[in-house]
Amino acid sequence: MAWFYLIIASFGEIFGVASINMYLKKKSWRWLITLIASFAFGFYFLALAMEDIPLGTAYAVWTGLGATGAVIMGVVVFKESMNVIRALFLTCIICGAVGLRIVS
Amino acid sequence: MNKYWNMIFLAAAFEVGWVVGLSHAYNVFTWILTGICIYVSFHFLIMASSRLPVGTAYAVFAGLGTAGTVIVEIFIFGEPFQLAKILLIALLVTGVFGLKTVTPAAEKKGGLG
Repeated sequence: MAWFYLIIASFGEIFGVASINMYLKKKSWRWLITLIASFAFGFYFLALAMEDIPLGTAYAVWTGLGATGAVIMGVVVFKESMNVIRALFLTCIICGAVGLRIVS
Repeated sequence: MNKYWNMIFLAAAFEVGWVVGLSHAYNVFTWILTGICIYVSFHFLIMASSRLPVGTAYAVFAGLGTAGTVIVEIFIFGEPFQLAKILLIALLVTGVFGLKTVTPAAEKKGGLG
C-alpha cells in the first residue's frame, strides 16, 4: 500500500505543475486553489508512504517520478518543445537529484 | 530570459529554506519563517513558469532544491561529507547550466510579467 501512496504522491506533484500552467493561462482563483491542494495532497501521501518506506528511498522515487512526469506532462499536454539535448540535460538533473536522495 | 532563470534559482534557494525548516523548525518563529519560505519559493516558481517551459522549470527547481538541501545538511547540520554527493551535485549542476544555455525563450502564457 505504501508504494501505491508514493505513486499517488508523485501524481499530486505532476498535477500541481499542470495547475501552475493552467493558473498562468486562466488567472483564476479556482486554479490557484487546485495548485495548492494538489501539492498539499502530494505531500500528505508522501508522508503516508514514508511510514513504511525508508525516507531516502521514498524521496528518491517521489523526486524522480514527479520531475520526469512533470516534464513529460509539459510536452504531451501543453505541447512544450523538447529535443534530445534538452532531454539529456534534464536526465542529468533528475539522476543527480534521485542519486542525492538515495545517498543522503 | 536570464531574469526568469534567476527566479528559478531564487525559488530553489527558498525551497532549501523550507525543506530545512520542515525538519528543524523548533518554535513559532521558525515555523512562520518556514511558511514564508514555502510561499516565496512557489511565488518565484510560478513567475518563472510564465515564460519557461513548466516541466523544465519544475525539474530545475526540484533538482537545485535537493542539491542545496544536501549542501546545507553537510555544512550546517554536520551530515557526512561523501565524494558521491559532490559528483551527483556536479552532474545536476551541469544539467541545469546546460539547459539554461539551450532552452528557448517561451511565449507569454498569461498576463504576468
